[in-house]
Amino acid sequence: MTNVARTGQALLIAASSMFFAAFTSAMVVRRGLSGDWITPLLPTWVWATLLLGPLASWLIQRGHVRPAMAAGAALVSSQLALLAGLRLFVIGEAFFGVLIAAHAAHAVAGVAAIGRFGARASLFWHFVGALWIYLVFLFEVWA
Amino acid sequence: MAIAILIAALAGATLALFFQPRWWFPDAISAHAKDYDAQLLFTLWVVGSIFVLAQGLLVWVIFRYRDRGQAPSVNCGSTKLELLWTSVTAVVFLALAFAGQGIWAGVHLKNSDPSALRVEVMAKQFAWSYRYSGADGAFGRVDIRQIDDAGGNPFGIDSKDPKGADDLTAPILRVPAGRPVELLLKSRDVIHNFFVRELRLKQDVVPGMTIPLHFTADKPGAYEVPCSELCGLGHHQMRSALVVMAPDAFEDWLLEARQKVVLP
Amino acid sequence: MRIFSTDHKVIGKQYIGLALFSVLFGMVLSLIMRFHLVHPDTKVKLFGLLWPDGAPGGQMTPELYLSLMTMHGTIMVFFVLTTAPQSGFGNYFLPLQIGAHDMAFPVLNMLSFWTTALSLLTLLAALIVEGGAPLSGWTAYPPLSGLGKITGPGQGLGQDLWILSIALFCVASLMAAINFIVTVIELRAPDMGYFDMPLTCWGWFVTALISLFAFAVLLAGGILLMLDRNAGTSFFIPGGLIVNDQIQTRSGGSPVLFQHLFWFFGHPEVYIAILPGMGLISTILSVFSGKKVFGYKAMAIALLAIGGLGFVVWGHHMFISGMSPYSSIAFSVLTLAVGVPSAVKTFNWLATLWGGRLRFTAAMHFALGFVSLFITGGITGLILGQPGLDIYFHDTYFVVAHFHLIMGVAAIFAIFAGLHYWFPKMYGRFLHEGLGKLHFYLTFVGVYAVFVPLHFAGFVGNPRRFPDFKEYEFLKSVMPLHIGVTHAAYFLAAAQLIFLFNYFWSQRRGAVAPTNPWGATTREWRDD
Repeated sequence: MTNVARTGQALLIAASSMFFAAFTSAMVVRRGLSGDWITPLLPTWVWATLLLGPLASWLIQRGHVRPAMAAGAALVSSQLALLAGLRLFVIGEAFFGVLIAAHAAHAVAGVAAIGRFGARASLFWHFVGALWIYLVFLFEVWA
Repeated sequence: MAIAILIAALAGATLALFFQPRWWFPDAISAHAKDYDAQLLFTLWVVGSIFVLAQGLLVWVIFRYRDRGQAPSVNCGSTKLELLWTSVTAVVFLALAFAGQGIWAGVHLKNSDPSALRVEVMAKQFAWSYRYSGADGAFGRVDIRQIDDAGGNPFGIDSKDPKGADDLTAPILRVPAGRPVELLLKSRDVIHNFFVRELRLKQDVVPGMTIPLHFTADKPGAYEVPCSELCGLGHHQMRSALVVMAPDAFEDWLLEARQKVVLP
Repeated sequence: MRIFSTDHKVIGKQYIGLALFSVLFGMVLSLIMRFHLVHPDTKVKLFGLLWPDGAPGGQMTPELYLSLMTMHGTIMVFFVLTTAPQSGFGNYFLPLQIGAHDMAFPVLNMLSFWTTALSLLTLLAALIVEGGAPLSGWTAYPPLSGLGKITGPGQGLGQDLWILSIALFCVASLMAAINFIVTVIELRAPDMGYFDMPLTCWGWFVTALISLFAFAVLLAGGILLMLDRNAGTSFFIPGGLIVNDQIQTRSGGSPVLFQHLFWFFGHPEVYIAILPGMGLISTILSVFSGKKVFGYKAMAIALLAIGGLGFVVWGHHMFISGMSPYSSIAFSVLTLAVGVPSAVKTFNWLATLWGGRLRFTAAMHFALGFVSLFITGGITGLILGQPGLDIYFHDTYFVVAHFHLIMGVAAIFAIFAGLHYWFPKMYGRFLHEGLGKLHFYLTFVGVYAVFVPLHFAGFVGNPRRFPDFKEYEFLKSVMPLHIGVTHAAYFLAAAQLIFLFNYFWSQRRGAVAPTNPWGATTREWRDD
């Protein structure tokens, strides 16, 4: 990976982190403000999805582009399934929905990037995988 | 050269405007308002001095160093100077910051007087309403479904709560001079803002919150209250009034108004 | 030139062109607004033709005024001040000044511009859809902006288009920010360390860093607002609301939360608008004084300090919003602290001029005017930054005067200075110096005449965002002031015609310029 590619991805990661930090802090504040927070219960299989990001990372590092994309696509599919079960008028589910949808969008971009650039886009994908781990912990532990 | 003269002229004109009496604050009608004016005046002197100094220096360098064939100097830095003007500026600015907090603390960090007259203020698109408790000193429960503007119940006082039966709803805010007042600001739709110029007080009125604002007005009179947060197409017509009355006159008014509520 | 060119110079000119169109559009809106404020009951046939619903029979309604005001602010802040200084000049000159062949990601650069253009079209579309443009101001506070059309005309589809436009703008800005930062970090010539870069490059670099973090947050806030409007969520909508006699069912949300998200972006945004200009002014003052910039390193550090501190002062837009009064105190101290590096820069500009040999080209005129305006506009920040004083001035014309002087004038003067300075490089010809100076003098007088008096409307307590002042006794006294300001605004707008003529005429007929007409030392003026 060239310096330009690495620095570019690092900055994209910085911007994206800020984006998720904004949603996270909005969620923390909103939860504390009114008494209407009910923690959504995600299906237990969500823990299994944690492995998909790192799996794709491991695969792309070894140059297996197609399998990595498949793992990424599996992650996105599982996220769509999670989204289908959420009701936006319940505030907790609305926030989870926003975070999952935002992550899914990043995952789609990540899969496309790996498809187009291969291992040169791996830095961004590592971030996507790590971010999903952060989000699942946010949902399951903090909330 | 011309530009130096122009900057000087415009800066001078700007400064001169601060000495005109026409477009200025209205009378201060409370101790807080007078404190406010003192802090503002102090700040204006500090800010004005900086303004004169900075614009003056600018005018001077333009005039003094205009091209008359001289060789430009080669100094392009001085750590000492940087440290000096950075620290002086920091001291002046931070002193100003701390000097100003007293006024703010007086309004928002002090609890209101326990004997204060409590009045609820309701803002809506595009009118203000005020609620005084009845002789029982208690505000009745409200129920949003019982809001009836045409019928004189903008607060939605719950008819099933006896405490509310004697509550007085009014279109303008009347208070006695010299007595602490605590307003409880509420909105039932969008963000509005309650502003009394003569009190030097302003507060956003936010739906979902009840925000307290206390004051003691000294001078009887009628003071216009403009909504001061964009709230829709009627924002500029959302006018109210604060009427400060002599204490006796206020008591008379309150008694009579309360009686009208209980015996319609 | 190909319209989807990836050449940084073409893209720079495209951004400048977009900004020029936007500033003219925004200026016309402001003239209509100023006219209406002093002639609120006058029917104007043209208004009736353009806006049959908003101005029936030619009588402008309050909602039309407010929607034009919203568009004015949005267009000026985003499509003028956040485009020309950074992506306009920056795209053109950053690579040249650091010795790079182009920006780091030329295709991304092209996409940034076209996304910005799409964003502008989306915004302008709001003017022509049913209900018209939103009336909630460029700040779009919920619940006014969050409940849909029951809060007012334009709050339906118009507000949705506004949010969509801003979201597109965020994406475009994030792409541009990444491009600028990578270019500075990775593409500098081997002999150019960070502290060898011209201050213009520092301006663009720090601005891009600010943009990266600020626009990400605005995008998040915009998405949440859009969901509140269209998906039944209650991020910002509290309970117990009754709007237009209809009880709202959602609850639990916080309007103040939106303000935090918005202003976390909104304050850094004003530094995005001014920092490139500051870098440029340092250069121009230096070139036309025949001296190096005084305190180069301090100036670079000051830019970083402003950028960094600029992220922790957003609450000064919210002193009386209902947030904790203790927060207000903290934000106040930080706000006055961020004034320090700005003051330091002003001293360094004066020190650059000191002992110099000043050549009063048109560019230099605008640079000197910038310094004067920066002082005048910046200094009222010391008043507004105190919550105890802001408790009177918030939402009055005092604030309007402050931000217009700093953003609507000083930042614009930096753009004019840049155009005069770099025109020879961009077009191989000079802008006409005489016309440039005439334009400067008329504009400089005009901006003082328009904006300084508005401080005094603020002293009277004149609220902002009022379509007219008929309702209040206390506003009768400011009517003569407003009439004067309106006339000054007409004069100021007319003076801009001189610039427009100069800009287009000189591209074809301006005096041919040599390679380095000003005797500057930065790389863009070299023959290679």
